[in-house]
Amino acid sequence: MPKRLLEFRDRTAIAGVGYTPFSKDSGVSTLTLACRAVLAAVEDAGLSPGEVDGLATHRVGDSAPPTLVGPALGLGDLSWHLDQFGGGSVSHAVVGQAALAVAAGLAETVVCYRAINARSEFRMGGTGRGVPVSPEVQYQAPYGYVAPPQQFAMYARAHMLRYGTRAEHFGALAVIQRANAAKNPRALMRTPITLDDYLASRWIAEPFRLLDCCLETDGACAVVVTTAERARSLRRPPVLVSAAAWGGGTSHLSCDDPTVTGAAGLAPRLYAQAGLGPGDIDVAQLYDCFTYSVIVQLEDYGFCPKGEGGPYVASGATALDGELPVNTHGGFLSEGYVHGVNHIAEAVSQLRGEAGDRQVPGAEVALSTAQPGYVLPATSALILRRA
Amino acid sequence: MPGYRPQPDRDSLGWWERVARRQFAVQECGACGTLRFPPRAFCAACRTEGWNWREVAPEGKVESWIVNRRPFVPGLGDPYLVVMVRLTPVPGCLMYGNWRAERPPEPGERVRGVFTQVDEALTVLDWMPESFIPARPAENPAAG
Ligand SMILES: [Zn+2]
Repeated sequence: MPKRLLEFRDRTAIAGVGYTPFSKDSGVSTLTLACRAVLAAVEDAGLSPGEVDGLATHRVGDSAPPTLVGPALGLGDLSWHLDQFGGGSVSHAVVGQAALAVAAGLAETVVCYRAINARSEFRMGGTGRGVPVSPEVQYQAPYGYVAPPQQFAMYARAHMLRYGTRAEHFGALAVIQRANAAKNPRALMRTPITLDDYLASRWIAEPFRLLDCCLETDGACAVVVTTAERARSLRRPPVLVSAAAWGGGTSHLSCDDPTVTGAAGLAPRLYAQAGLGPGDIDVAQLYDCFTYSVIVQLEDYGFCPKGEGGPYVASGATALDGELPVNTHGGFLSEGYVHGVNHIAEAVSQLRGEAGDRQVPGAEVALSTAQPGYVLPATSALILRRA
Repeated sequence: MPGYRPQPDRDSLGWWERVARRQFAVQECGACGTLRFPPRAFCAACRTEGWNWREVAPEGKVESWIVNRRPFVPGLGDPYLVVMVRLTPVPGCLMYGNWRAERPPEPGERVRGVFTQVDEALTVLDWMPESFIPARPAENPAAG
């Protein structure tokens, strides 16, 4: 690793988090949702909105960019902003880039947000939007192969065929995350489920059932990134950005092994930046657009050997009382789908010790990850640490 | 069917024109000979632009498949099966298509491309078992 990267570790911090309620119909615009989440995060940090000098978001043409949110909140002359095109694979890149901007002195207080009406307005890969714009879509769309649950189901079956991963493994993950959501007042789905409930849920695209798929959610979530030094003087316990990494992934048209994701290439860089390894992670929020994406990340981030993600989950290792609690908020499957930012916010809550009934005792280091690099060849992740 | 029609671009137009003529061709780099798909100007191996179309056998192996149990696209039957095929002539290349057989695929099964004429303007490439022998020339098996 280049020595100069060491200057990045722990230089910046997340000083505040903010949410709107999650629902199936927010009744308001994504601009309104974004403004509410940004103000909530600023309030949580104990700052005034006038102190915000940077805004950043990611979106796929379905939300309000910083050039709308800034003027709407009277923020005037922003010294840094980012409107990152992209889906869940760039969710953590946005916070990583905000941390770089703050570390470089381009801005001092950046709010990263994601606002989404993913149920009532712009459903991913479903009604309310056309086919994605990538030219590669022309080689799949004519076959009725267009939506994320289809694509991840395709990769999930490849993993099942290669490693013997089974429906019961996916089901165990859904059951565990619902149990976590039952302890999360913000979560949309809080009624516990059993493995039988999972197996009885209706087919979407075999091998995926309804309970393999994330919720479609209206809502917004935001985090405040500032310097570590400044965060120490603010209202909340600072959570340091120990590492932020970007990675590639697999084009869906060319890839030697679809059971390995871009996370496998990113993970060594991420851990090296933080000076840590998988064994140092106390709690992990892993991008769970579908059950399978968690299982493959457990392997590619080094928590279990390749191919053993399914049995690892079924052993209870990722439950709240397991060796690596995962998606303690319930994740996209049960809390709500805010395209990655709610995973970062939950990691912050855990490291502050403010996660209530779902608190992992003594959590000091958290991993939070983006979509691991399927479909769009990109991924990103953060390691966060209690100061 | 289908709800979504391909929109050929300046890179892919020649490929779709060949599919319409029931030809299966990929690009062959003029400098290093590497075969590539999907169509694009640059060879990723040697980063040069010159290339020719090269007809290859539409053969591959089943890497995965899904059975769609809801209509993701208007007009498609329910359920319908999409297969992911590892193309034999182009290393690393994956292609998709509807499955043209009355039974599900088998893991690693050898398959052959088959052209399906959707309507007057559109022909697409689907996949069927290598072992399928049509009763009449050019007859396709039923869609899975
Ligand atoms: Zn070449």
